[in-house]
Amino acid sequence: MKHSDVIVIGSGVAGMTAALASAQQGKSVTLLTYGASSLSLNSGLIDILAFDDEHKAVKSPLEGIKSLPADHPYSKIGADYVEKAVEFFCAFAKKYHLPYHGSLNSQMMVPTAVGTLKPTCLAPHSLSGSESFVGKKKVVVVGVKGLKDFYADIMIQNLKKAMGEELSYESVEIDTGIEGGRDLTILDVARWLDTPKGVDSFTEQLKSYKGQTETVLIVPQILGTSGHACYLTVASRMETDVVETTGLPPSTNGLRLQAIFRQALKDNGVEFVENTKVIGAREEGGRCTGVIAQAGIRQKVYTADKYILATGGFYSGGITMRDFEQPREEVFGLPVFFVKGEENWSNAELFSNKPQGYAKTGVLTDENLRPVDENGKLVLENVYVVGRDLGGYDLCFEHSGNGVALASGYKAAQM
Amino acid sequence: MEKATVVVIGGGATGVGILRDLAMRGVDVMLVEKQDLVNGASSRYHGLLHSGGRYAVKDQEAARECIEENMILRKIGRSCVEASGGMFVRLDSDDPDYEQQWVQGCKDSGIEATPITLAKAFELEPLLSKHVVSAYLVPDAAIDGFRMSWQNVDSAKRYGGRVKTYTEVVGVIKENNEVHGIKIRDYFTGEEYEIGCDILVNAAGGWAGKVAELAELEVGVQPDKGTLIAFNQRITNHVVNRLHKSSDGDIFVPHGSITILGTTSMSVPSAEDTSTSREEVEHLLSIGEMTFENLRNYRMLRAFAGSRPLYMPPGGASGRGASRGFAIVDHEKQDGLKGMFTIVGGKFTTYRLMAERMADQVCAKLGNKEKCRTAEEPLVPEVSEEAKKAARKYFPAYGTDLAATRLGPERFARVTETLARDPEKRELLCECENVTRGEVEEMAKELSSFRINDIRRRTRLGMGTCQANFCALRSASVFAKVGRDEAARDSLGQMKEFLQGRWKGIRPVLLGRTIREMEMTRALYELSFNVNGGEKE
Repeated sequence: MKHSDVIVIGSGVAGMTAALASAQQGKSVTLLTYGASSLSLNSGLIDILAFDDEHKAVKSPLEGIKSLPADHPYSKIGADYVEKAVEFFCAFAKKYHLPYHGSLNSQMMVPTAVGTLKPTCLAPHSLSGSESFVGKKKVVVVGVKGLKDFYADIMIQNLKKAMGEELSYESVEIDTGIEGGRDLTILDVARWLDTPKGVDSFTEQLKSYKGQTETVLIVPQILGTSGHACYLTVASRMETDVVETTGLPPSTNGLRLQAIFRQALKDNGVEFVENTKVIGAREEGGRCTGVIAQAGIRQKVYTADKYILATGGFYSGGITMRDFEQPREEVFGLPVFFVKGEENWSNAELFSNKPQGYAKTGVLTDENLRPVDENGKLVLENVYVVGRDLGGYDLCFEHSGNGVALASGYKAAQM
Repeated sequence: MEKATVVVIGGGATGVGILRDLAMRGVDVMLVEKQDLVNGASSRYHGLLHSGGRYAVKDQEAARECIEENMILRKIGRSCVEASGGMFVRLDSDDPDYEQQWVQGCKDSGIEATPITLAKAFELEPLLSKHVVSAYLVPDAAIDGFRMSWQNVDSAKRYGGRVKTYTEVVGVIKENNEVHGIKIRDYFTGEEYEIGCDILVNAAGGWAGKVAELAELEVGVQPDKGTLIAFNQRITNHVVNRLHKSSDGDIFVPHGSITILGTTSMSVPSAEDTSTSREEVEHLLSIGEMTFENLRNYRMLRAFAGSRPLYMPPGGASGRGASRGFAIVDHEKQDGLKGMFTIVGGKFTTYRLMAERMADQVCAKLGNKEKCRTAEEPLVPEVSEEAKKAARKYFPAYGTDLAATRLGPERFARVTETLARDPEKRELLCECENVTRGEVEEMAKELSSFRINDIRRRTRLGMGTCQANFCALRSASVFAKVGRDEAARDSLGQMKEFLQGRWKGIRPVLLGRTIREMEMTRALYELSFNVNGGEKE
């Protein structure tokens, strides 16, 4: 039986952050993961906090965090750790050639594939949004012939509403020459732009905009599948700003982030065990003494001094609810907080100025992110809960997903 | 002033059936519907084409009507019917005496009920509970209420029938105890105007009492709410009925890739009440899992409810005790108002028969001697095998037949041509239901398309596994581009409204894997697109 210092269960942003930060402290880390993570669905942007509980826009995320209720994950994590986690993340991302910028004190507005602007804190250069719009006079939305899920006309229609009529707007369509029997996806085009031939053709087709420094080119997430090299090449050849938008999956930027995390985990000696579903745990005297993992038909026990749970809550099946009002945390059977009663479980309006009750379902923890029961009593002293498994917040409503994941993953590694 | 000889109020199955029947007999007829077609009970039901077995004990007349109409609809509406066959199963907890009565009832009503061995029953339906003690096969089937209704309209239009959707009747114009027309209001513009007619047919289903009130008449209609659950799997191969005294939650109907379980029965004050609750879902599940024990492990897509417009003659029974038969009221005979009829009650399976009886009375008044032909002529001509074969090059795999049945020959030919000419239109807008961009554009241009939901009912866009996760964006973009109405340009509004419509049905079943699916929807639209906060203050 192999023993590690730390076992991390789950390979989303929270799990990979926890594993990387643990490994950088010189600890031996094993990361157990089952299925593809949801990074291909994840924008890869680090939203910290964009809306408060009444849906008012939060200007400074750092200040916003400080006024959250005590049972919100950020209140457990603390603003100091959020700041440190951001530093940690930015240093790592820069080292792996996908530098992020932005600030905890303000929101950056990133254009989306429907032409709205989305507030976020940290974004890679290719998605830096509003910072690229400063002083611009013209917006050119660059579509791609045959590309699914990117519609220049509705983007322009909504961008006008979001950014004002004083700018001028136009669209242009690029032809990749890719032919085949199926619909063209963002990834097909990004792979085309990974090739020198693709970049040449792309910039050639846009040459009439070259050197127009008062123009910003808005493109789907097609600027290469890894790092920011493709973005740099295209932007420097065009001699103007190029901005990617968020969009429907697959999210190229989410995959870029996943790729650098994986590389960093490898470089830091983290043992990454895939297709392994953790189905239960052994406990003794208020401590976890091992987790039981199913790989194919075999079961295997993994042991460590410390366990970090990052199984993604409802979204990724870490928490399930087969019957009403009976949520279950799948690995440790931890107590799960949830909002009781049908009328509180969800809102009649899908999009409104109230969070969805059901989305707050999750494990409650102490200040060290260890699970507690409804009386606040510690359940397992060497288990830490991070990311979407945490209860008490609706990340879609408040736009805090990757922020909580990053900060809780980082803090759990320090404990 | 616009005029028609006959105006039919209500675009449910009954109304469109009457429209078609009268149009085929050469009558100048117009139908007005306050929302989109089949907005009421005709789209909010099991989608079950009854064999009549359900009524074999309690109501022999209804049973006989069902089996006769069942055979007719299979013939005239081939592309609307999925001839899955039905199975009646008795559990060990169900009354054996009822089984004997039922067998006799089927015999008496002319319904072929074939007893099968338990081994055969489990072979045909492997997921059945081991508590099943006897099983019979009957000619039940699934029927698509949306498609059936649109095909009735398409057929009627060929004979000169006219339709106005999103047009609400707000007044009945009468003089000297004679109807001369109606006053209507455009749903979108609020504009009011009049349409003249000689005969007015009130086929407003659950709203028939309200329409009668506009003419200062009284018609007793009791809306009786039935709640149903759609599962994201094909749990059964056949329509499976529990063989006991008809009750809640004892019918499973497979449709395409999903299964519908229902229903409940509850008197409600208004036909507008299509609310569903966690209790009703729990109630249906607890009964349903007696027949299929593993039921709770399947993903529920949504819950929905509709109201049966039960006709209440003075002193009649209510709820399940009330007749599922239909009634025609000639208001000239009953109330002395010349030129007005009401038709109410009945069930989807017998809509054609109801229309025939209604049209017979209308024609008698008009002196029209034409015979009813709706039982012989197919609703829409079949798309030829040749046309389908040629189209296969352009449609997605498995998509050709689906599109052919959804579109009918003329539209299918147009869409095929579009896809052949422009490969980009072959893009799959809705992967779950195999709907191409070309087909959505075709429907978006129709005069009856005011919102994405109107396109959904015609194409099945957004009704499958992902419940609009991907196609809400795509369809909003298509609609903004080719939609005829100004409202179509509001892409964010259209997108939100479409997703909100899905959400209504998802809320009461928000557990299990349905939660995961919903979290993805919100992650995309709320986080990635910021549709909830993206507009400038």
